[in-house]
Amino acid sequence: MTEATRNKILLIDDNSLFLNILVQAFAKTGIICITAGSAKEAINLLQTNRPDIILSDYEMPGMNGIELRKYLMQNKILKDIPFVFLTSLTDKDLLLQGLDLEAIDYIIKDTPVNVIISKLSNILLAVNKQRELSTAEVTNAAKSLNVKSIPAKTPVVNGFGIDFWHRPYHDIPGGDFIDFIPVNERYTFIALGDVMGKKWMAWYFTFGFLSYIRSAVRFATFNADYSTASILSKVNHIICLDDILQDILSSLSLLLIDTEKQVITYSGAGDLPLLHYDAKTAELRQVQSSGLLLGLFAEGEYTEQEIKLAPNDQLFIFTDGMIDFAGNKGKKSDYNLFASTITNQLNTNVNFEQMKATLFDTLADAQVDDCSIINIYKN
Amino acid sequence: MINTIKEQNGYLIVDLNISEASLNNSDPFKRELIALLDEKQKKVVIDMSKVEYMDSSFLGALVSSLKHAIALKSDIVLIGLRKDISDLFALIRLDKVFKIYKDFNEVPTT
Repeated sequence: MTEATRNKILLIDDNSLFLNILVQAFAKTGIICITAGSAKEAINLLQTNRPDIILSDYEMPGMNGIELRKYLMQNKILKDIPFVFLTSLTDKDLLLQGLDLEAIDYIIKDTPVNVIISKLSNILLAVNKQRELSTAEVTNAAKSLNVKSIPAKTPVVNGFGIDFWHRPYHDIPGGDFIDFIPVNERYTFIALGDVMGKKWMAWYFTFGFLSYIRSAVRFATFNADYSTASILSKVNHIICLDDILQDILSSLSLLLIDTEKQVITYSGAGDLPLLHYDAKTAELRQVQSSGLLLGLFAEGEYTEQEIKLAPNDQLFIFTDGMIDFAGNKGKKSDYNLFASTITNQLNTNVNFEQMKATLFDTLADAQVDDCSIINIYKN
Repeated sequence: MINTIKEQNGYLIVDLNISEASLNNSDPFKRELIALLDEKQKKVVIDMSKVEYMDSSFLGALVSSLKHAIALKSDIVLIGLRKDISDLFALIRLDKVFKIYKDFNEVPTT
């Protein structure tokens, strides 16, 4: 289990000795503990931490446990974190007062530590199960609507091979989107974007972006406009005018494959540089665009460039989830590490299909965001 | 999460007190920053030296706060970016969008 998927508990007690005993006992269960010696300290911690459950002492100097719970109930995000009271009191009225504040349970302080741990572990199991059920329900609803921000298959394009790999963060659809838009036998557009944000909200907005991109491509090609820069500029302009997308930004890599000339035209908006593997030199080179994120400035300027793939050359287009890693020292973004990992694989003649089976699964263990990558090569 | 350090040379200098800037704290960050911009009517310099990792949700919050600042004819200036984050800004051209300096001494006087 990675750091990101382990449950986290916030323990609040003014008795540091008791806190230490609990922390040591929880350490054996794999549950991450954060501790606070007072309600005030807990409130500060909660500004930057989101535990899965809170265990708080009732009697503390300053703000007591009931007052802390009342305070958290005012906050629309913090009020939903399961809250358990720890008390040495057996006053039924006080216990009832706590439970009236939607605390899910209380634990008497002289309960053996292993029983406290078991009780909280069971509550966390129930919370996790409920979360999974809720996610499954929304996922099923999304499936039944038959809306997809990731295509089911790749198009057949004369002279080129196209493949892709996508994995949403925590298996919940997120802000990454991919589209293949075949215009005719000669031209096919490829779009890879990343709406800034995660999970359902970002996923919802991908459809706004996808619709505008599809429409812009169609209107442009009706008028024989095959400039990716011009299309990107129009998409950006209209997104900047859309009130619903006012605060939503997205990166986009837009590519056009011309099968007659056997070239690829590319324009980017706040996207990561593509990687072009030159089979002759066995090196990867960055293909950098100059465009800014979609939705940032209406007058954003976009440029385009041609990419020619020689036989056995490969092109990789990917979102930032591919370069984010979670390790022992925390999370980090490392483009160069990703590029060197790909180079090492390619230099041992591993193809994209094999990479999907090994490399990307390994990367996904350290996944902290949606991961998407498209691979284009010359047949 | 945002601690005001001082006001100097027409700027409000603040410190971002998190090491992992992500979806977990992007919304409260944006609310705090926009409230500061509205209330103080000053350009805000954010010291990011404690931030070790930033995800796209947080980048989105930062960029949409900048749009808000520009609409107020204000600005957001970033200082103390760690190398990983500075590299990420350059890769996705956000270094052309934000004014970025090593520290406050390099920030030009308004």
